[in-house]
This record gives sequence, C-alpha cells and structure tokens, in this order.
Amino acid sequence: MTEKRFYQVGRKPWEWRLKPAGDAERARGRVPGTRRHWLKWRDVHNDKSLKRERVMVDKKPLWWTIGLVLLLFITPFLPNSMISVVSIFCIYAAINILWTLIIGTAGIFSLATLAVVGVSAYIAAAANVYLGVPWPFMLIIGPMAGLIFGAILAAPSTRLDGLYYALLTMGVAEICRVFVVQLRALTASGGAITNVDSFIPEDWFLQRPGLLLGFVGAFLLMLGALLVWRLVNSERLGMLLRVAKTSREDEAFAEAVGIDFRRARLMVFIISSAALGVVGAFYAMYYRSISPQIFSLDQLLLLFAMMVIGGLGRAEGAVVGAAIVTIIDKGLIELGPPRIILVALIMIGVTVFAREGLMGARNQFRDFRNRKAGERRARRTEKGGEAMPEEATEVHDKQELYYRRFNKRLRDKLKDMITPELIAEHQRDPLGHHSDALARVLNFFRRGEMADKYVIHRMKPAEEKFRIMAVSGARGMPPRVVDDREYSDIKEAYHAVFLLRVNDLLES
Amino acid sequence: MTDIRLFGYSDPLSARAGEPIDFMVSAEGASEVKAELVRLVHGDFNPEGPGFIEEVIETDIPPALPAKRQYTQNGSFARVTDPGAKLAPDGAFTIHAFIWPSLPVGSRQTIMGRWSVSGSKGYALGINPEGKLEFWVGDGVAVDQITADAPLVPKVWVLVAASFDPATGEARLRQIDVQNSWNSHIGPVTPYDHNSHTVQKLRCTPATADAPFLIAASHEENPERGRFASMLFNGKIDRSGIVARALTADEMGAIAKGDAPAEPLAYWDTTAGYTDRGVGPIIQDTGPNALHAEGVNRPVRAMTGWNWTGRDDSFRLNPSQYGGIAYHDDALTDCGWSPTVTWTPPKDFRSGVYALKVSAGDTVDRIPVIIRPDAPRAKIAVQMSTFTYLAYANEHLSFDAQIAQAIVAHTPVISGDDLEYNKLQEFGLSTYDHHSDGAGVCYSSWKRPIINIRPGYRMAGMNFPWALPADLSLLWWLEHAGYDYDLITDHDLDREGLAALAPYKTVINVTHPEYYSEGMLDATEQYLQGGGRVMYLGGNGYYWVTAACPDDPACVEVRKLDSGSRAWQAEPGEGYLATTGERSGLWRNRGRAPQKLVGLGFTTEGMDRAEPFERMPDSFHKRVAWIFDGIGDEELIGDFGLALGGAAGVELDRYDLALGTPPHTMLLASSIDHTDNYPLVSEEVTYAFPGRGGSQDPQVRGDMIYFTTTESGAVFAAGSIGWSQALPCKGGENNVGTVMRNVLKAFTNDGPLPGASYTGAEKHWR
Repeated sequence: MTEKRFYQVGRKPWEWRLKPAGDAERARGRVPGTRRHWLKWRDVHNDKSLKRERVMVDKKPLWWTIGLVLLLFITPFLPNSMISVVSIFCIYAAINILWTLIIGTAGIFSLATLAVVGVSAYIAAAANVYLGVPWPFMLIIGPMAGLIFGAILAAPSTRLDGLYYALLTMGVAEICRVFVVQLRALTASGGAITNVDSFIPEDWFLQRPGLLLGFVGAFLLMLGALLVWRLVNSERLGMLLRVAKTSREDEAFAEAVGIDFRRARLMVFIISSAALGVVGAFYAMYYRSISPQIFSLDQLLLLFAMMVIGGLGRAEGAVVGAAIVTIIDKGLIELGPPRIILVALIMIGVTVFAREGLMGARNQFRDFRNRKAGERRARRTEKGGEAMPEEATEVHDKQELYYRRFNKRLRDKLKDMITPELIAEHQRDPLGHHSDALARVLNFFRRGEMADKYVIHRMKPAEEKFRIMAVSGARGMPPRVVDDREYSDIKEAYHAVFLLRVNDLLES
Repeated sequence: MTDIRLFGYSDPLSARAGEPIDFMVSAEGASEVKAELVRLVHGDFNPEGPGFIEEVIETDIPPALPAKRQYTQNGSFARVTDPGAKLAPDGAFTIHAFIWPSLPVGSRQTIMGRWSVSGSKGYALGINPEGKLEFWVGDGVAVDQITADAPLVPKVWVLVAASFDPATGEARLRQIDVQNSWNSHIGPVTPYDHNSHTVQKLRCTPATADAPFLIAASHEENPERGRFASMLFNGKIDRSGIVARALTADEMGAIAKGDAPAEPLAYWDTTAGYTDRGVGPIIQDTGPNALHAEGVNRPVRAMTGWNWTGRDDSFRLNPSQYGGIAYHDDALTDCGWSPTVTWTPPKDFRSGVYALKVSAGDTVDRIPVIIRPDAPRAKIAVQMSTFTYLAYANEHLSFDAQIAQAIVAHTPVISGDDLEYNKLQEFGLSTYDHHSDGAGVCYSSWKRPIINIRPGYRMAGMNFPWALPADLSLLWWLEHAGYDYDLITDHDLDREGLAALAPYKTVINVTHPEYYSEGMLDATEQYLQGGGRVMYLGGNGYYWVTAACPDDPACVEVRKLDSGSRAWQAEPGEGYLATTGERSGLWRNRGRAPQKLVGLGFTTEGMDRAEPFERMPDSFHKRVAWIFDGIGDEELIGDFGLALGGAAGVELDRYDLALGTPPHTMLLASSIDHTDNYPLVSEEVTYAFPGRGGSQDPQVRGDMIYFTTTESGAVFAAGSIGWSQALPCKGGENNVGTVMRNVLKAFTNDGPLPGASYTGAEKHWR
C-alpha cells in the first residue's frame, strides 16, 4: 500500500459569474416567435459559499455569436484570396451542417451529399443558361431539384443498412459524374456549364466588391443552414429521433409508443436534401459555372475529412472541421500536394486520439480525468475505508466522513474478535445470552446501513422454509435474493445471515 | 396466467352486532371473488401453540361477489370544488402563498392552481423538477411558463406569488424571503438569497379547466382510473389566496408582512377555525365567496407557520402563527373504495374477531372485523386495542429503518405479503414511518388494507405476531378455558367512556394497549373507582397521547415528542394534536403515568428472547397468595411462550412508586435474567451512563402486581407483551393459565375479593 498522503484540495473559480440581487426585477426576453430565452442563464446557490450566482448554463450561443460576428467583421479586411477562402469555407460549412443532419440526426449514412448539391446546381444552371430563367429563380429550382433527388435517394435508405447504402450513394455520385461528362452538349466545356448568371454582377466577378458580395452571400447561406439545423435538430423531428437514437431496442420501443421514426428519418433526409439544393444553386452562381468536379471522390473525401476532424453529429463540429480543412486546402495552396497529406495526418490524428472529433475533445478530456481520478482514488482509499480530501469534497453530509473513519477502526477491532468459538457460540443460539464479544459483533451488524442489509424471506406462509435476501434501502425497490440456498430451520437461517456478515466484515 | 391480487378493508373495523359493515375489495386479475365469513380463533402457526385456526360461519353474505380493481389516491392535498368557476378569472389575477417546500428538487409539484394535467388547461403555481418556483398556464394546446431565478431551499419559508394579465400576456413571478430565526430548518446566518422577481410575456392564456381548484396537487384523469390528483406537493403551505388583479409591489409587501390582501377572490386563512379543542379538516376561505378547501388524506394542521417566532409553542396560545399545513405525497387516510358487500351481523351474533375471507384462484385475503355484542352479555370484556392496531398499520420498519434490526436484535423474517405491500407502496404508512420528506407520520386510519392485522401475520422485524394476531392467543385461551367474553375496542371506550366498561365485572387489556386517549384513561379510572376490575396483560400500555379524529373515528392522531421510544420527533411547536388541542407525547409527561392507573409503566423492550417470571416475597401474603394457588414457591412462571419462548418479554412494564404506582401495590412476581438487548427506555434515562441493559440494570424487568381500589375493585397487571402469547402453550394448560384462572375466578365473582380481609398489621415472630 502506498503511503497515505493528504493533498490539499480547492480551486478558485475561473468562470465569470453574475452576482444578481434577488429582489431586483428581471425581465426575461425571448427569441421572437418562440418560447426560448436568448441565453440560458440559471441562478444557483454556490454550494461552497451558499451565495447566489448566475451561470450561463449553455454557452454555445455565446460562442456561436462571437465566432460568426468575428468572421463577419474580419473578412472585409482580408486580402482578396483569403476572402474567397472564407467564402468557400462558408459554403462547405453549410454543406457539412446539412450532411450532419442526415448522418447524425436522421442516422442515414449517405455519401451522395455532394451529388445532391451537384445535381441541383446543374439543373438550376441549365435552367438559367439554356432556358433563360433569371438567376433569382435558381434559388427555387435548386431546392426543388434537391427535394426530388433527395426523395429518390431516400427510398432505398429504409431497405438497405449502413455500409450498403453508403456504397449505393457513392455509386449514384459516380453515375452523375459519368453522365455529365458524357453529355454531348457539354463536351466542349468538359462537362461544365459556364456563364451562369449570378447575384454577383458580371463585371464585379473576381473583383474585390464581387468577392465581398460573394462572401456575404456565402455567410447568409451558412446562417440559413444553421437555421435549418436548429429547426430540424432541436424541434419536434430531432426530439422524436433522439428517443430512438441509442440502439435498435430503442427504435423498437419508439415504434411501440407510436413514434413513426422511419418517417421522421425520411423527413429529415428530404428537408436536408432540399436545403442542399439551395446550396447547389448558390454554388453555381458563386462560381458562375458548375463542373463535374463536384461529383468527384476527392471532393467528397475532403468533406468527409471535415466531418471527421470536427466531430460527427454536431453543428459546431461541421463548422470547425470545414474551417480547418478549408484553410489548409485552399489557404495554404502554395504548400502544394503535401497539404493534402497534412489533412490526412490531422484526420488520422483526430480519429486516433479523439473519439468524437475536436468538438468532442472536451467531454473526452473530462471522462479521462474522471477515470484517472477514480483509479487514483481506488489506490488511495481502502474499500469502505475513510475518505481522502478529494473524495470528501463530494460528500454532502460531513458526518458521513466521520462514520467511515469510525467504522473502519471499529471493523478492525471486531475482526480480531471473530474466532471459531465465537461463530460456534452464535450457531448454538442466535438469539441467546451472548458473550460480550458476540454481542458487540452482532450489534455492529444490526446497526449497518439499510442498503443491502440482509433479511430472511419466509418463502411460503406458515412454512419453515427460508432464504436470504438483501433489501434495497430505497422505498418501493424490492429486495434482491442473495443466493439460492434454502433453510428449513430459522436458527440455521439466522446463522447463515451471521456467516454472510462475518464474511463481509473480514473482506472489508 | 395473470397474477390475481386481492386487497380489502372493512369499515368500520369494529361494529356492534346489528349494525352494517362495509367490506371493500379490490381485485386484480379476477372479476369475481369467493367470499365467506370466518371466525378467527387463533392467529399464529407456531407449532408450540394450537396453530392457525379459523371457523367458517354461516351468513347471508353471497358466496360469490363481483369485484373490480379499485384505485387508491395517495397523497394529501386540499380541494376547492369551485362549481361556479370563480377561480378561473377572465382578466388579470394574482395567486399567492407562503410555502415551506421540503423536497423541492426531483419531480414537478403543484403548490396550487386550477390545472388539468391531462387537458393541459388552466393555470398553476408550482415547483419544477429543478426545484425552482414556476407558474404555468395552458389553453389546451400550448403550455407556457415563467420560472423564478432563485432555487428553493428545502424547509425554508418563502412567500411566492404569480400575477398574470391576459390583456398584455405579462406574467410576474415573485419569491420573497420571509425566513426568521425560528421558522425554518436552517437559520438566517446562511448567506442564501431567497428572493426572486421575474417578468416575462407568456404566449398563451389559461383556458378554464374541467378541474377543481387544488392546493398541493393537480387534477388528472384517464379512462381507466377516472379523476384523480397528481403532481403532489411535499412541505407546508400557509395562508394563500387569489386576487382578481395584478398585485402591486406595495400590496405584495403588505402580504409579506402578514396582511390579508384587499378584495380577494379567495383567501384561505389557514389560521381561521382553530379552537381550544383543535381544528377540523376544512380550510376556510375568508373571502367573499367562501370557497372553503376540503382536506383529502388529512393534510396535517396545527403546524408552525411562516411567521412562527417560537415563544408560543402551541396553536392554542397563538393561532395566528400556526397557519402551516403539511402536505405529503405518500399520505393516505382513506382509500375511498366502494363497498363490495355490506353485511349486517344479526343482533344475537357472537362477539369475536371475524374476517371476510375472499379468494380467487390461489389468492386469499382475510379482511378482519371485530364484532361487539348488541348488548353486554358476558361478565368479561376484552378490550381490543384498535388504536394500537392503527398506529402500527403497515409499518415499514424492516425495509426503511436502519436502526430497526438493532432494536429488535433480530434479522427480519419477511413474507411474500411484505414484499408485495412494500413493492406497491400504495396502502399508506404507520405512525412508525416517515413521509418521503422525512416528516413523521401522525395519522393512521383503518380505511385501507392493513397487512399486519391479518390473522397469521407475523411482524417482519421479530418473526412473531404483533397486536391483533397476537391478541387472538388470549381469546383462544379464554375460549379454551371456558370463559365467555364480549369484545369491546379502544374506539368504543373512547366514544362511550365509562358506559362501555361499566356492565362488566372485569375488563382485560390485550398484549399492547399502547395508544390511549384521555377519554379512555378517564373511563378506565372511573371504572376502577367504581369497583371495576382490570386485568392489564400487556406491555408498554397507556403510553402515547392519542386521539381519534372527531370527524372521522377511523383515523387516529399521535405526535411523538420529548421522550419515549419514538420512531420520530415532532418539530418544535408541532407537538399538539390538531384533532383535540392536547399536547401529545407520553402520558407520563402530562401527569398521567400509566403507573397511576394500573401500577405499571413501560421500562424496557427487546426482541431477542423472553424470560419467565419468578415469584416475589409479596406473593406469599394472604391478600394475594390465592393468585398462586397451584403454583410452586419457586416455580418459574411462563418459561415458555409463542413470543420468544417466555411470558416476560418483548416489551415490559415496571412497578415504580416514584411514578405513581399505588402505595399498597403488591409486587407479586418479576422477570429475571434479561439480555443487554433489553435496555432501559429513554424516558428513564436522565444521565446517560453505561450499563443500562438487562444484565446490569435492575430496572430492566417485567413486573406482576396487584392492588385493590374502592368498592372491591382491583387491578391485576402482568406487564409483558409475551404474557398472552404464553397462554396457548402446552395445550393451554400451563402455569400462566393457572394464574389467569385464579384471577378470573376471583374477578368474575360478585362481592369482596379473596384476601381482602387481610388488612391487619402483621405481628411477626419470624
């Protein structure tokens, strides 16, 4: 056993908390049209000082606001090349957010995300270039194309599981690419549709005002994607799906209580596909063209890298992943091909060390710390023995700490009293006049706490047939059966309980 | 095959022949039950005794009864019927209440409101699962709420109020600190800030719910169960009300000072209605509409209120500080089931303990009922201790009380029925249990299935019968020995006083007459003064100040305080009975030690083993020597018994001149050789020092005494719960029975008692 050392515990708070005055009137504003408050403030009593403190329980809105506002205000001061990197980041972030809805919320492992974007982009661009539809209508044609294509893709998702569906969707993307490349009408341009009209005037294209306008558009696109995320993931549909999320049994349970979660999954898929259609139309307008490159595997894998690095299933993961990969891929273009290797290395690093991407690192770190604390504590604290200062911070009733210390020492004394003679004395007469030693041991046993305390169960009314149970200590929670031994004499049963308790004592 | 479950109770628990008895049965898994009446002859299957005996009695009860599942409303709350929907205002309104929440965190609770959970309609002020005050409204589709900032601290008084104006949608929720040095669980030195004041626009307005206005609960209904109450509150609620306008800060300040609001729609003044003799279950609305609230499952009144300042420690001194009413989510005083069968025993029906034996499949339940003769018929009355039966009804000690095994020095032996009752948690608690917030249980009633008055039931903690099933041993022996007896009950004595005892030559107290009302003590005293003869054959009798509720005798009240073997301790200022205005606790603390009445009083208890009595020198005096006719000089009396193998055990009473044992009392016999698991009781311990157990302290013993009163009255007392349970041993022919026969022979005869003439001063040569 290691030497007992008492480490000092205690920490100053680092988090800034409001110190509200309770009698001051406080008007709580809400996000218009909802019952939500702007920020999730909660008052607590600090259990160290008992003073009232106001904590922002959910700081995500704050981080989002700071991040987005910074992006919006810093970008105009960046050089031209960086502005377009930021714009591309916004577009990828939007795609990623919507993809996260499909994979994370709906739980459909589709790799046809870029295919949906591409198909919508091609149809919207074609409508503009060949049919002369004005550009604003592209933002309607795009999502309609996405909706229809999404609905077609959704159909097999209920039939095929995981990997097979992923392969299918990859195949669909490849078919799209081959189809576009082989279209005779587009052969001249290598499968691309060019000269697409745009919200960016033609003479501003690739000029600073045009880039800035493009950035504003892309930024709004990302905000739109975030809004879709919020509405789908945090409202009814998302909640329904979360009920059924963790396992197959949950799905069965969800269906049994009347949640049609297949339908909810399809709805999420179709809504996301329509939104991806908007992204497609925007994409064609932003570049004033659309090329088969959008269907390519390397694009898809880049997107996949973003998801993996950021963390699957959360919007902030999608955005942060997009930022990292875009900066490396597009911002450090002078590095040349090694930058792709860099992305791959980051991806491998994240998958090896972080279970749920960079955005899950915090929780993972906490779990890790708790596990370490548990291991160390287990080494430092004997079973049922006294608590060390670290553990004491988690025990509300400090008297409990004394009980532990006292009982530990008492047990040590009682252990010495357990002798074969003492056990024989109890066996002779469990309810008799007992020696001082036996009386002390028995009284310790009888005073034990309620949880897992032994009782004897008379198995049938009026019959001398017993077994041993242990009560739960929680009202309404039934006792558990300790073992399958049965006793036909109550004295035997009393003694069997005694032996169990002696065993517990000696083991402690 | 589905499990069949049968539960039932009788109302009343004891009836006179010729008066109707309702039997309520709940049957799950069966739509019909077989029914027959049995007479309970002996209630323990111990092989040392005659075994479990019941006798089928021919009656006009139909042999098959249709039965259904009956539901039980648990939890205490108060109901305002409000048929005119006066408490569903169209315009702005404010609801306010002083509260002392005892378990704020965990589940959603309602403080008060006209809220339908199932309909999502109406409004209510409550506490959300996080433990914060919340006011919510619903229009049947949407629900919206405003939440207070400050977390509620358990057992600290605050004034809470919610205003809502449908014209603007503005809701205002206030929580105002009213803690003082006396009224709360913790003191003002704690730096908590209990205040909160939030304002917010709500997105819907309350629709009028098809629901009563409830205090401490919300209305709910479903097709299976019908209408019931849920989201129950734990803690105390003092004065509360509704005003048909949004109250200003000044008006709230006035309420926080203790003023009633001006022009209320309703104002439940919980301090109104107190008299010197207690307070009833109706909470008065002193507002213009007189919408009184009616307590369900007996909310506990006579509790300290938000403005309690400690000097007045009874509501009788200052009702205005006793507005607290305690509500508990696990209180139960009336299952409210509908009768399955009503049966009237014929007027000439033999007095005894009976049970309606209902069965379906393999499941059997026996619903006990005590039948008293239509008019006194026998010379002997056995007083069945119905108060005690209720006090212990459905005790949970073996499952809930950590210290129980150390008290009884036993490992509990639980039965399948115990497991079932414990799992259900549906049929309420005993006065030995605590409510979910830790408060002691002060009410117990017979209007619910009670497991431990079933014949054959053994108290889990000790593995022998307790109270009613144990008392059957005495009845079996009386019958075996050929004595006719009438049964009366504590309730009869409490209601009728001396008249219940007067017709009898002798009255026998059963094993454990622990719970006594003032009227019962008075009647017994008058009976003895008038020449009556009492055989006190119990342990720990005449102990707790108890009362039957005047509006519902099915329910008894006790508050445990000061000293004594108490499962709980009433909070300061809350030791007086709401039903009578008396200070509760031990009778000996109120000048009526049981020694003054029957010569003995509680001295020790233990449940590991029981011992015999040994004759004391007084037993050889001619005044009393007749009691020992047929018994050897040094013969141990009762070294056998169904309870722990001895006549002196379980709970024991002692002779003590200092506590008022009559000075001429003869100490006939005492028990010997108790273990240290029999400690001296706490009310005898002034200074604590080691060695107060049976092996070291001479006060740890049970005594057998005798004294005479005026008019040839007398008391024979054997202060032990084990006494009656020794009688059935050896086929009923044993030396405990010999003592009983000697005493009964004398006590049932008219005229002077044997030995009464030996009152001369002794002139000894030896």
